[in-house]
Amino acid sequence: MLCEKCGKNHATTHIKTVVNGIAREYNLCSQCAAESGYATNSLTGMLASMFGDISKYESPAQKTRCSVCGAYFSDIAKSGKVGCSECYTTFYDELLPYLKRVHGSTNHVGKIPNSAPLMVKRETETVEDLRNKLSRLIAEENYEQAAVIRDKIKEMEAKGNE
Amino acid sequence: MSSWYKNSGPSDDIAVSSRIRLARNLKGIPFPSRMTTEQRIELNRKVRDAILNSNTPFAKSLKYIDMRDVPEAQKYAMVERHIISPEFANKNEPTAIILSGDESISIMIGEEDHVRIQVILAGLQLSEAYDIAERIDSLLHASLQFAFDSKLGFLTECPTNLGTGLRASVMLHLPALENSGEIEALSRSIGKIGFTVRGMYGEGSKSAASLYQVSNQITLGLSENNALDNLKIITTQLIDKELQSRKELKTLELEDICYRALGTLQSCRILTSNEMMNLLSRVKLGKSMGILDIKASPIKVLIEAQPFMLMQKYGILEPKDRDIYRANMIREALGQ
Ligand SMILES: [Zn+2]
Ligand SMILES: [Zn+2]
Repeated sequence: MLCEKCGKNHATTHIKTVVNGIAREYNLCSQCAAESGYATNSLTGMLASMFGDISKYESPAQKTRCSVCGAYFSDIAKSGKVGCSECYTTFYDELLPYLKRVHGSTNHVGKIPNSAPLMVKRETETVEDLRNKLSRLIAEENYEQAAVIRDKIKEMEAKGNE
Repeated sequence: MSSWYKNSGPSDDIAVSSRIRLARNLKGIPFPSRMTTEQRIELNRKVRDAILNSNTPFAKSLKYIDMRDVPEAQKYAMVERHIISPEFANKNEPTAIILSGDESISIMIGEEDHVRIQVILAGLQLSEAYDIAERIDSLLHASLQFAFDSKLGFLTECPTNLGTGLRASVMLHLPALENSGEIEALSRSIGKIGFTVRGMYGEGSKSAASLYQVSNQITLGLSENNALDNLKIITTQLIDKELQSRKELKTLELEDICYRALGTLQSCRILTSNEMMNLLSRVKLGKSMGILDIKASPIKVLIEAQPFMLMQKYGILEPKDRDIYRANMIREALGQ
């Protein structure tokens, strides 16, 4: 299906909305969805488009299925939705690059279940330092430099994962 | 206690509301898109029992509602009060919600994730809202097993929520920054560091009521405290910039705009949703700058004048009739 707005790209985002009490449904491409302010709400469309050409996941070599929910990776790439928690183990390698792109990191920091509230998993000293610096730069409204530091954090974490 | 839009809160002349949302999923059941009807019903029951059978005084203020029992118009009125997401209102599957009497807590069951804990408070109260969300999280965790991975954190249906599952946001009234055009450059800068600024009530980046929502985008590799602290800093800066920008507005022109807006709202007979939001935004600006002396809260009026909120009060109405009821309601709310 083509995007209703630009009529050029493939529609990847299905939106139901209520304007002035009238329910409407739209099918938009990720770009037009973002422009209309929908993609920030649910990033599904953006994510699906980030997987790029999904046909490469549909080759016979890519026929791994999640043993719990039965999802193929092409299902996830198409919908931008992961089937179940086990999918994260089954398709870990496929998902990793996208997680890196979305979050700039692939390592959880923060609350963990079975822990007292606010007990936080520690990062390595240097990344922590950078994060403090990032907070400081944001406080100083130095957004340009903050973006640089953020990239550095991304880089360090990318190395840490290799 | 009443809903956020009827309350006042810290800095609410600019920071209208603060919202926390935590995404959680249970171990051993597929994510909502792949759930069967039976699994959904079972999920509703599990979450209901985890909260309501916990025998905490806290749980006594919460009520379980099967969304299949809620009429369509009421669901959309809940969306307009920011209690549930539009996606949740659109679901045809058996979903449920656990709601507090003042609607500050809404636990959506079977939305994009098994559980979405939402806390919304008036004004700038991110930490307060987070503390409440965390209490609910702990309450659920006491009897349910969450899908969690030591490397990836809390597992979610959409990878964009992975990690902390925390989405924190503040709704800001920024008419002066919008007027000066600064909001666009600020949005871009803020976007570079993992936060988004989104116009509410409007097409694209524009907002009919100069209301903008700032929220964190990154949930993996950033702790809850870190995300909240950064959002607070950004919010405080946006408030300062808005105040600065307001000082530069020309007094006479500003007075003229505010008084005209109030005058129109006090005497109109037909009022569209769009015009209402435009004018109420000016009235809010005038009120917070001490130009207009009115008792009514423009945000409360704005929420109550939304289409489904009107219909919840006056019954199902055609759009044309709604504009008449809206005008009547607002004349009364802002009448001298
Ligand atoms: Zn398009
Ligand atoms: Zn799976």
